[in-house]
Amino acid sequence: MLKKTLLSAAIALTLASGAQAAEVSEEIIQESFFPYADGAPSFEGLKAGMVINQSNVEQFKDVLDPAMYMFVKNGDTEVKVGETTDFALHPSYIEATRKYSADVQLGEGHGELSDTVAGRPFPAEPSLDDPRAGEKLAWNYKYGYNWGDSAAITPFYWTMRDMESGNKERTIKMNFHFLNFTHRTSQEPYPEITPNPSELFRGIYVQVLEPFDVKNTQLLIHRFEDDTKLDNAYLYLGFQRRVRRLSTGQTTDAFLGTDVMIEDFEGYNGRISDMKWTYKGTKNLLMPMYNHNDMVLDTETHQDDDGYQVIAFGGKGGCFPEITWQLRKVYVVESEPVDPNHPISKRQHYMDAQTFIIPRNITYDRKGDMWKSWTIGQTHPDHHLPVNKGTGVSIDDSFTMIDIQANHCTTGQFKGIVDPELSPVDKFSVQNMRASGR
Amino acid sequence: MSKTITTTFSHLALGVAAALGTGLALPAAAAETTWAGFVENATYYRDGVGISKFRNTAQAEFETKFQSDTFRSVQLNGVLRGTYDGVYDLNDDEFGKDSRHAYLGENWHGQDLSTAILTPGVSFPCENDPTLCGNLDGYMDHDENDAKFPEFNDQLDFIRELYISADKELNNGDILSVRLGKQQVIWGKTDLFRVLDVINPVDYSRHNIYDELEDIRIPQWMLTAEWRMGPNSVFDDSNLSMVWNFDKFRPNNLGTCGQSYRILDAGCFFSSSANLQLIPGGPYSQPVPIIHDVEEPSWSLANTQLGMKWEGVYGDATFSVNALTYRQQLPSLHFRPLAPGAPVPAADGVFDIKFPRVNLLGGSIDYYSMNMDAIWRLELAYTEGEELPRDLNGHKETDMLRYVVGFDKNIIIPELGTRSAFLLSAQLFGEHILDHEADMPNDEDNWIATLLFKGWYMNNRLSPQIIMAHDFAAQSTVYAPSISWSPDNHWMFNLGLNIKTGGDERFPWSVASAFGDPSAQYEPLARFTNGPIGVANDEDELQLTVRYSF
Repeated sequence: MLKKTLLSAAIALTLASGAQAAEVSEEIIQESFFPYADGAPSFEGLKAGMVINQSNVEQFKDVLDPAMYMFVKNGDTEVKVGETTDFALHPSYIEATRKYSADVQLGEGHGELSDTVAGRPFPAEPSLDDPRAGEKLAWNYKYGYNWGDSAAITPFYWTMRDMESGNKERTIKMNFHFLNFTHRTSQEPYPEITPNPSELFRGIYVQVLEPFDVKNTQLLIHRFEDDTKLDNAYLYLGFQRRVRRLSTGQTTDAFLGTDVMIEDFEGYNGRISDMKWTYKGTKNLLMPMYNHNDMVLDTETHQDDDGYQVIAFGGKGGCFPEITWQLRKVYVVESEPVDPNHPISKRQHYMDAQTFIIPRNITYDRKGDMWKSWTIGQTHPDHHLPVNKGTGVSIDDSFTMIDIQANHCTTGQFKGIVDPELSPVDKFSVQNMRASGR
Repeated sequence: MSKTITTTFSHLALGVAAALGTGLALPAAAAETTWAGFVENATYYRDGVGISKFRNTAQAEFETKFQSDTFRSVQLNGVLRGTYDGVYDLNDDEFGKDSRHAYLGENWHGQDLSTAILTPGVSFPCENDPTLCGNLDGYMDHDENDAKFPEFNDQLDFIRELYISADKELNNGDILSVRLGKQQVIWGKTDLFRVLDVINPVDYSRHNIYDELEDIRIPQWMLTAEWRMGPNSVFDDSNLSMVWNFDKFRPNNLGTCGQSYRILDAGCFFSSSANLQLIPGGPYSQPVPIIHDVEEPSWSLANTQLGMKWEGVYGDATFSVNALTYRQQLPSLHFRPLAPGAPVPAADGVFDIKFPRVNLLGGSIDYYSMNMDAIWRLELAYTEGEELPRDLNGHKETDMLRYVVGFDKNIIIPELGTRSAFLLSAQLFGEHILDHEADMPNDEDNWIATLLFKGWYMNNRLSPQIIMAHDFAAQSTVYAPSISWSPDNHWMFNLGLNIKTGGDERFPWSVASAFGDPSAQYEPLARFTNGPIGVANDEDELQLTVRYSF
């Protein structure tokens, strides 16, 4: 793995030569990618191993986001505190940032960006004095290392639950596959897959395995380099056995009837230009980031030959992952829809400063009331499946989307695998949907 | 939930795969098999008739994936289905071998001279009239048990699908894929009616046009091969495929007289006779059967069917270009004169049924309009060799142009109380007869418009929808509202209505003219004018389906 890492970093370096006149300074790189090099953040009274619950939540209110504070205060869940750990991203991504990001500029228009190749577009610390700091952070998220150049979640269990009764209403078992066509750094080819006539940025392919009534449903999303362009989406319905095109403007549609909007995927799954982004400051907050192999695991939902088990859920209605939370440097960013008819008034995103994944989001309805709480638990890749070790991917490992107003939630249990063999380019083609369907 | 089984079934699957894949020389070992399926009861109540369907279905599906060093993927798929429709036991006054008809077409129109000239259809002629049974041999010769248990027949239809697929990655990264076995091959992009989706014949006796095509296509033994070329400098995706239907030709199943669903009431027309003995001084001593013989193409290499398709993605559009040589799946009636050139029919039967060879050239395209946030679909098929009914001489060969324009939009309507997007899907089907004649009951140009509006509530577990279709020439409309509820992963309840209007069109019939009435008649040609919606105008139904999936 080390050999592979060095190779990809070297290739990235080679590709970069002559492409950029200047490099990002080492100081910025270190601050951006290694925020804990000089030690983990601390908060008075907070220690790894302790539990925050109704009895002591007021003491730790400042390290909890408003929704988590409310859940703990209500007794819906407890927060187990873990050690702050280094989620170092893959060296090739850091190297690409160093080489390609010095000259990256926002365009004049909302959602416009100068040409980028790979890496974090804006690695410098955000400033409250910069009116477009939020937008830059949103770009950092969009072009973040995320799942790496490709990965698969196979399988992926989504369970809809009545939070009051704890009744599991429905479980959907799926496979998810991701592939970056551009901005690639760690898996060959770099920095893009060619030919790519429509200039696709990313492909997402979903295949439903269970239950029977939606079995063989497949969804393919093509996202473009041009952020102002809406995705192309294709749906294969098992009972129709043909590929239908989907209109993709309705990104607030509930995905397969769950509490998760399509726009919610991975923290935010829309165009940068659809939102007004505001940087609200930097905080040290407890984030759902942990080592999978050290967690409480669910022995019933999934069994396989690897002996892999998914994260267990508990708390009120079974809506909370049984994980540990660690104190981390977080950028607080708000996104307000440009469209006045959008069903939400804003989202608060809590972006992890080191990885630029978004483990915590709070959604507010049009009246400004808290509506949904979105947690995406992250495991360190070195404490998960052996295949993931050394990939430098902060692996999405558990999620819960809680509709606070409806007392309902959708939970997700992952088996995430960073392996390019599972996500070849042809899996992201329309023809693959026809071939994979019955 | 589907189950994964890695037991002896895998050995069985391997054996079947080996048998199917003999020509493919598949070196593979069975890996794991997953099973899924359902049991279902569909009970329909028809206004004024009573129970029209009490269908009990068990379906099981399996998929076995094999490990192979030679192929990127090898798998065996099968779908097994068994059905018992109890309507023939529960409502045998209306349906079944003992059901009787006051006159031909009593289930959709009143009487006129045409119904006096033609005798009522004979229910299940093979249970009631050996002559008619012999005339319809091989086509509408079902007996009642065939209707009760439609999959258990000589064609082994309980094996709905059984095919092996293999993908081979070529040196240049392209994929060559082969699928061999009993299967459905779907072309085109339309719902409810077919334009390009004509490779498999359809069983309309299950529930007219209203069941999902997946459930009513008649699977055929076929070989398909695909060359998936993937993206190039112009196209985001490109694929060339070939389908060879080497199965013995099977026509659409229109429903035998006596069944509860018989599209266009064709089954009863084919089992009726013409009262030509009433002609004073004529050559006939008894009613003349409408059908003399069914000339089903026998199996031969020349009678197999072959298609090619090139499809791809270009920017915001996906497209296909299709070519197919096949056989008309609807019967063509060839008049049998009493003597060469005579305008009156032979005494032992008026028509022979034939299924002519048809060549099709077509294509489809769909396009995502970002400004409208909607999908536009266009599908086109031009055929030569089709034969259409006409008053004089029974039929005429004509080129045909069929097309559909579709519009799909997902739209969130918060005022309707759900955050899930509704699906609005509208289609306009067009048909143009290039060599139209005045005595053809089909208009030279006709259109059918369809609308689907579907919503989801309670985390998609409650789904109301309405389907509407209007046939412009027939002046007939169907309204099919329904609501589906899935309380958990296993149970599904669907309650629906199916209401039709129309069926009032008549068409002149030269035989009636000869009997002294030149006015338009109901029989036999107006069934084509009124189409599948209008002819079913008295089949308003309340429908309940309960399904348990595993």
